[in-house]
Formats: sequence, structure tokens, C-alpha cells
Amino acid sequence: MAKSIFVFALVLLSGCTTVVIDEYRRSDGELARGDSVVILGRRHSSEYETEPDLIDCVGRRLHNPKRGVTVIPEQHFVDAMYPWFEPRTAPMHLKSLDRLVDIPEVRERMETYGVKYIVWIDGSTETTASAGSIGCSIGTGGAGCFGFGTWDKESDYEASVWDFRDRELSGKLSADAKGTSYMPAIVVPIPLIARVQNNACKGMAAQLQQFLLPAQPAGGKSSSS
Amino acid sequence: MAWSKNGFSAVWKITLVSALLLAAACSHTVSVDGRYPQPVGQQHPLTVGIYLSDEFRKFTHHEDSADRDEWNINTGKAQKNLFETVLGSMFTEAVSLSQYPQDLPKNVELVIVPEVRELQFTMPRENRVNIFEVWIKYDMHAYDQRGESVANWVITAYGKTPTAFLKSQEDALAQAINIALRDAGATLYTGFERVPELQAFLANKQRALSMKGDETAGEETTE
Repeated sequence: MAKSIFVFALVLLSGCTTVVIDEYRRSDGELARGDSVVILGRRHSSEYETEPDLIDCVGRRLHNPKRGVTVIPEQHFVDAMYPWFEPRTAPMHLKSLDRLVDIPEVRERMETYGVKYIVWIDGSTETTASAGSIGCSIGTGGAGCFGFGTWDKESDYEASVWDFRDRELSGKLSADAKGTSYMPAIVVPIPLIARVQNNACKGMAAQLQQFLLPAQPAGGKSSSS
Repeated sequence: MAWSKNGFSAVWKITLVSALLLAAACSHTVSVDGRYPQPVGQQHPLTVGIYLSDEFRKFTHHEDSADRDEWNINTGKAQKNLFETVLGSMFTEAVSLSQYPQDLPKNVELVIVPEVRELQFTMPRENRVNIFEVWIKYDMHAYDQRGESVANWVITAYGKTPTAFLKSQEDALAQAINIALRDAGATLYTGFERVPELQAFLANKQRALSMKGDETAGEETTE
């Protein structure tokens, strides 16, 4: 009984994350069989970098060839298109993409991959506040830690969806996630981690799936905790 | 006396080993060995010789200042791979030269010689953001068949890695250097035609090729 209560308390505490997804849609999803999607992280800012593991997470969750969504892994695509999608050469606007497509070899390779949508994700996850302290000691009688620590994390991501074939902005999505992690230590430290980035990834991938596929009902604004 | 001598020897050895261990703890070695993709785009219609000096192929940046640990950063192998891959794909034909200016093949129209001017890096505790940053500056030289200078230009490259991604300081720095080298390759590829002297050299070559094409077409018509 006590064990069940402890596990339930753990689940309650570790699930303390809020995710808010917003969507702005300019055109309906037109992803057809044989089309593929590229998800890329923006890396031009000097102060932060969109995490490759977030891009990988969104890509893995979105990739579902049975449902008609084929995602090209970021590093594979960036290598195949070198040097046109490096941090300093990547197109920042659709006009730059037009200029890039003027290069026949680039256009041919994009067509070979069947690229329909390019999704640019910009943002990062940061620790915004932390408090508490934990002390550990080792003695002849054994070792142990005592104390309590807590920290807040915030994710703020924006995804711009470019329709490569029509050379237009299809829409934008944003994912804001917040969560607090706790670390009580009574002899052994027990980490109760809020998976803020992972929840932002899940929310964004689910919304992108609705966004890109045709005849799917679009969610205006959703919130989960 | 014998005990004392042995005791002194043991203390001396322990001190020496401790000093070496301490020195090693403050010394970092990074060896970057990247593989880089071939650029996608049109090739310039030139036969080019690529000369990468021994110094360039084995380049190691050594730094040991008062406010920093000792760092030995070897980028030679990675930058050799990068320049051979990028320059090798940029032109219709590229020849790797083991020496220069001796024994230059007759068909080579332009020889490209890169040199490292400087490499700088900052650690997360030195900048306000938690990022490892690397800057590399290359001096690029281009010579014609007679060994006369055609163009000199500079390539600056930048790479960064946030601390959150790192396994160790060495891994993070190696990753930032790899990103900087990819950036150098991108700048070399996209900026080549923007160097005025090289632009003129390429225009001359294009003109010669089109004249040759016209002559061939004329001869065929006469026949």
C-alpha cells in the first residue's frame, strides 16, 4: 500500500509540466504519398542554439510512413545539401529559398528527396530559476545526502512551415512549456524531473502532424498538463 | 644511510609523479578528425592544383597562458580532409600537389594554397553565454601556371557548441571546431566567385572556352 502511494506521488510530482501550443495556418496541409518533410533547427543566434535532440525528437515522433509522413533526418539532409543549409548559409526567408532553388543542382537534389515541407524550429529550453541545497557526507558508518533542491525549466519554440513546392509560408506553430523539477534527498537523492523539452517535442510533433496532413481537423489552441 | 638514500629516492619519485599528474590534469589535448560532405552546385571549368603544406596538414594550435589551462588542438587532419573534399568538388579537375612550385603538371591552370592565420576559442566560463566558441582564419593564395599571384583572400570561420550538449570540454571543443570547419568550407565554396581577381580569372576562362566552342562550330560548318 505504502509502495503504491509512493509511486503515485512520484508520478504526480514528476508530471508537473504545462505545454501550450499555438497555431497560425495560412494554407491546408497537402502532404501526399512520396512527399517528404525536413525538420531543421535554427542555429544562427549567438546566444542559444536549437537543440539537435529536440529536432531529432520531433522528427522521430512525426515520421510515420504508414500515415504518409516521411521525415528526412536533419543531419542527413544538411550533409546532402552542403553547404546551403549551414548556420550562416541557410535561407532565413522564402526569398532566399527562391535564390537557392535557382541553382539547378540544388533544385534537382531537393526534388530527388521529394521535399514538400521545410519546417524550421527556432528556440531553446533554459533553466530559469533554482533554489535549495543538498549536502552529502561519507563517514565510517556509511554515506548519505540530506536536503532539497528545486529548479524551473522553460521551453520556447517556434516552428515555421515552408511549402517548398509553392514557395510560400504555410503557417507557424509555437510551443511554450514550463515545468518544475524537485530533488528531495533523505539519505538517497530522489530526482523528480519535469520533462519540459520532451513534452514540448510531443506537443509540437502532434500539432505538426495535424498541420501537414490533408483532411485533418486543425486544433486552434490546445493545452495539456 | 642506505635507508635514508632509498627514502629520499622514493619521496623524489612520488613528487615527480605527482607533479606530472598535476601538469597532465591541467593540460588538454584535442584531435579533430572530421569527414565533410561534397558541396552541391556547379563546378568551375578549371584544372586546379591544391597544395597543402606539411605545416597545414599537421597544424596544431598550442596555448598555455596564465589565465588558462594548457591546450593542444590538432586540426591538421580535419582541415586537410575539408579542403581536399571542397576544392576537389569545386572544379572540373583538381590535382593534389605533394610539392609546390616544383614539378607543377602542365595542365594545371590555378594553384590554391591555404594557410592557417589564427585559431581562437573561448570557454563557457569566459563568455557570458554557456557556449564553446571557435574562430579560425585562413589566408588563401591562388597562383597561375607561372607561379605569379592571382589572388589573396581571407576566409573566416565560426563554430559553437552549447555546454548542454557536451560530454567533456575536449569533446565540446572538437565539436565546435568541426562546425567551424564546415563553415570554412561553406565560405570557401560560396565566396570563391566573389573574390574580384578570381571572378576576372573565371570570366577569362569562360571567354576562352566560348571562343574555342565557336571556332569548333565554325570548322564543322566549313567542312
